[in-house]
Amino acid sequence: MNAFSYLDLLNLLGPETILVLTSLAALFVDLGALRDQPLPRRWLAGGGVTALGGLLAILWLTNVTAQANLAHGILVVDPLTQLVKVVLVAMLLFTVALSLRAEFTEHVGEYFCLLLLATVGMMFLVSSEDVLTIFVALELTSLSLYILTAFNKRSLVSAEAGLKYFLFGGVAAAFTLFGLSLIYGLAGSTNLREIATNLAGKGTDPLLMVALIMVVMGFGFKIAAVPFHLWAPDAYQGAPTPAAALIASGSKVASFFVFAKVMALGFAGIEGNGAWRQFAPGWVPVLATLAVASMLLGNLAAIAQSSVKRLLAYSAIAHAGYMLLGLLAMSNPHRRADGMAALVYYITTYGLTTIGAFGVVQIVERTGGDSLENFAGFSRRAPLVAVCLMVFMLSLAGIPPLAGFFGKFYLFTAAAGAEPGNLGLLWLVIFAIAMSAVSLYYYLQVLKRAFVAAPAEAAIAPVVSFMERLTLALLALAVVVLGALPAWLLGPIADAIKAAGF
Amino acid sequence: MSWIVHNLWLVPFLPLLAAGLTALAKQRHRRFAATLAIGSMTVSFLLAVGAFAHTLGRHEDEARQVFNFPWFQFGTEWLKLGWVLDPLTAAMLVMVTFVGLLIFIYSVGYMAHDENFTRFFCFLSLFAGAMLGVVIANSLLLLFICWELVGLTSYLLIGFWYHKPSAAAAAKKAFITTRLGDVALLLGMVWLYSQTGTLLFYDNGAGCLEQSALGAMVAQTTSLGLAASTGIGLLIFAGAVGKSGQVPLHVWLPDAMEGPTPVSALIHAATMVAAGVFLVARVYPLMAARDIADVLSPSTAALQVVTWVGAITAVFAALIAVAQTDIKRILAYSTVSQLGYMMLGLGVGGVAVGMFHLITHAFFKALLFMGAGSVIHGCHEEQDIRRMGGLRKLMPVTFATYAVGMLALAGFPLLFSGFWSKDEILHAAHEWPVSCWPFYFGLFGALLTAFYMTRQVACVFFGNYRGHAAEGAAAGNHHAAKSRRHQPHESPAVMTAPLAILAAFAVVLGFLGTPAWPWFQSYLEGEAAMVDPDKLLAPGTLALMLGSALVVFAGLGLGWWLYGRRPMRHADDADGLERLHPEIFAVLRDKFYVDEFYEATVIRFNAGCAWLGDWLDRWIWGGAVLACKFITIGLSWLSRLFDEFVVNLGFDEGCRRIGNGARFTSSLQDGQTQNYLRTLALALAALLLLLTWGCKG
Repeated sequence: MNAFSYLDLLNLLGPETILVLTSLAALFVDLGALRDQPLPRRWLAGGGVTALGGLLAILWLTNVTAQANLAHGILVVDPLTQLVKVVLVAMLLFTVALSLRAEFTEHVGEYFCLLLLATVGMMFLVSSEDVLTIFVALELTSLSLYILTAFNKRSLVSAEAGLKYFLFGGVAAAFTLFGLSLIYGLAGSTNLREIATNLAGKGTDPLLMVALIMVVMGFGFKIAAVPFHLWAPDAYQGAPTPAAALIASGSKVASFFVFAKVMALGFAGIEGNGAWRQFAPGWVPVLATLAVASMLLGNLAAIAQSSVKRLLAYSAIAHAGYMLLGLLAMSNPHRRADGMAALVYYITTYGLTTIGAFGVVQIVERTGGDSLENFAGFSRRAPLVAVCLMVFMLSLAGIPPLAGFFGKFYLFTAAAGAEPGNLGLLWLVIFAIAMSAVSLYYYLQVLKRAFVAAPAEAAIAPVVSFMERLTLALLALAVVVLGALPAWLLGPIADAIKAAGF
Repeated sequence: MSWIVHNLWLVPFLPLLAAGLTALAKQRHRRFAATLAIGSMTVSFLLAVGAFAHTLGRHEDEARQVFNFPWFQFGTEWLKLGWVLDPLTAAMLVMVTFVGLLIFIYSVGYMAHDENFTRFFCFLSLFAGAMLGVVIANSLLLLFICWELVGLTSYLLIGFWYHKPSAAAAAKKAFITTRLGDVALLLGMVWLYSQTGTLLFYDNGAGCLEQSALGAMVAQTTSLGLAASTGIGLLIFAGAVGKSGQVPLHVWLPDAMEGPTPVSALIHAATMVAAGVFLVARVYPLMAARDIADVLSPSTAALQVVTWVGAITAVFAALIAVAQTDIKRILAYSTVSQLGYMMLGLGVGGVAVGMFHLITHAFFKALLFMGAGSVIHGCHEEQDIRRMGGLRKLMPVTFATYAVGMLALAGFPLLFSGFWSKDEILHAAHEWPVSCWPFYFGLFGALLTAFYMTRQVACVFFGNYRGHAAEGAAAGNHHAAKSRRHQPHESPAVMTAPLAILAAFAVVLGFLGTPAWPWFQSYLEGEAAMVDPDKLLAPGTLALMLGSALVVFAGLGLGWWLYGRRPMRHADDADGLERLHPEIFAVLRDKFYVDEFYEATVIRFNAGCAWLGDWLDRWIWGGAVLACKFITIGLSWLSRLFDEFVVNLGFDEGCRRIGNGARFTSSLQDGQTQNYLRTLALALAALLLLLTWGCKG
């Protein structure tokens, strides 16, 4: 262990520190100063404090360049992690912006505090290459999100969803911890790179396989991949919409990023083979199985949904399947950077799109609910928001020139090229393309209601605040611009990956 | 380069502009159309006079000034157009603008009652612009463009009264017949371009009519043993044959008389038909180009062809003219005949000889046509000379001017321009070393010309008016009934004034080209004219003049003896010549059966080809198309079946399956947490199995 100064540590952990302090500030401001103020003012104040902290964190992240690997990977700071952290905080900010008119709770301070803590957990998750800190950060994130899911105490569904989420997550975490302890037993280290070194030569030890699957279960739960997805539809539907947005965006970004690291770094050497009819034991066939199951089940089940939040949950499951392709692309060490770049681009744009989609759903919910019927004639009631919805839905479906198309394009290209000179994962890519064709159906269902169907007699125009309009418009613009000019995002990602030496 | 050379384009451009503006005018804007047309023509005339003055007194080397400009680029080559100002152009410009101007003025009176007055002036202006374009063109391409425009306006104007089937047919005939010549001209142009790489006539030594290009073309021998210059020259001449109504493409010109009389005067007597002659004059260096080794041979093959075609046309058309009864048709055949003279002159004597006759002929033929128009106008659209007579007293001005024109055309000695220009041609033909037959042809033609003109004048102006008698036979005819109440009357001043002016020119112009003072010839050749009365009295010249005068007198006398001595009493009386030799008269009256011959050969051949084409189209190609159609229908039917029962059913089935799958997968989510957790355990087991057994294979 190297000696290091606490000042350096503060320098490296500045953003996280800021957010933790902000969470406390939000709590104190709300509970102390604004106790008797009307609710909207408290939301505004809490949101303001949170946003201020978030902006400061982003400023720190973008302006303080630091690169360090402390205590054998317990804390890893490099351009790539900084970039992902910027994305995380940005998603937090968008979530906050969409929360300002929320009415589901009076515990404003606690709400923002939990949002911030969840984000801090995600940031630690991103910054870690040690299984123990990864687990701790995972738990911090998860626990915050459990509470956020159940935050609407007046709603039975919310409480039920929170409980289910918690139970499922707890069991999954138990498996993960078990798996990690087995790994430690086999490899004698908690550092990912050392694990990989020590496991080399163990071959396909059955115990290792058990450990591998158990680790995968924990992350599979976080990213909502089939068959560890069962919590997701309930949680998405039951949770307050901004919380669901954060679960679907920020949590997913961090989980995928660390999942990729664990698999590509920690289990380097036991990839196995996922090429068609050449399966060999390892994490690639496992993830390929999860990907196929996720794409199939997510896309099919989404078709049968009438609740748009639930539909978005299944859509998220299907997208988790697509994103697993990016992980699979990283199984080839030479192509690892490509896979990582495609994955980060995809999760970023997907996160932005899905926050936007949830933002629109939140607005529709004010007119009575989130079922498809409530979307009927929405374009006539709120044209700007409806246009944003169209952008988000088409991007999720992968229609050019929106970001979703290029995300899928890079992801599939990376996956198809993962095994050079061999068809390799092409079968998976073909399957993914076929399934994204199926997915168009349910996205267009939503748009059809919004743009073609006549509004119901009693339909009312939703109240849309300026902040919501601005946020949605910004998100839609980002989706269009990042789709039309993908290099704006891909360039920095590629630079960061190169600088991080990933 | 002086201003006028730079801006010579204005001369054709102004009438074109007038045509364009008139085209936008409404039908009732008659005064506007006429003013614009006449105004533009006047300005063009003044410019033409300026250009003419510019060319006066210059020597050969500086007499020709050109202005060329690049038009567009294809490949690495620039296609250039341009205009040229030389004596030939200047003389033609003055003639066309002046005669045109007079005819425009005359038309105001002649067309006064026509409802399409504006359209008429639009076409006339367009014609004038195009014709002037032909005249100034320094590029065969530009000339060809204007040439085709001229052909188009000719078509439009012949068919001006398109509601008359005969006019519509005549327009079509004229267009198609001249097209035959134009195809040859186009081929000649292409050949010329491939030989010389330029279509400019004069380009400071690089033009296709200049020494280097001519030398190259003469040296080039084609497979038939002709020099390239001869081949190209003949093809270009074929274009001129079409346009100038030379045998065998003369058939359209008499029919073209279906157009309004001013059109006949302007286009089909004075200017357009002369365009062919002008073209030959323009490319004369090409026609006359010969090898240095060949310099002693008397004439080139191309010029010999021109000579023979001209000579034959001159006699052939004159013979037909003898037996025609339509006043305008007689003049039309006379025109064909005179155009033959011009070609003959070009062939035997060069540019100056042919062009002199062209200029003089333009004036007196325009005069005759306009006189005929005046007669027709006065006789209420009557054109048959047998139903006229005695108009000498009823239409004195018309008679006087017509007589001047007639004497000029007949070549009455000394006083009239036709004498001098025709004499020039005969003189040249007499000295032609190749053959003496063209000279005899010319003499015979002169005899015939004097004869048929005497016949016409006698029938129209002498004796008694026979219109009433004919109308008696055609009683019930509305038109006839109307004219019974009116005697023929003199035309208004707007028509007779141009006649008088033209009559004056028909006399005066001759003195510009007498042997004693050959000013016109010298002008064209860029030399100073010398007054030399002795030449007039040179033995050869004098004898020839006397000879041709005798021939003319013989023709006049014969005509008077047959027709003037005992005027026709009745419109249905047999013709004087018919009484003497009915069989010859019948052949001549039926125009040597050329139309019938074409009908039996060319047109029938064409009809046969058309029938064959129709048959092929209907049965062979049509059958193939039908077969394709049925095959396509069959295929599309199959495709529809496939679509309906395989693709659609498959797709529907697929969609149904997906829907079922959706309901099934959705039902997996039963909301029971214990089941969720059970799934977790099952998944662990399943994945383990997958890794331990599934991946071994």
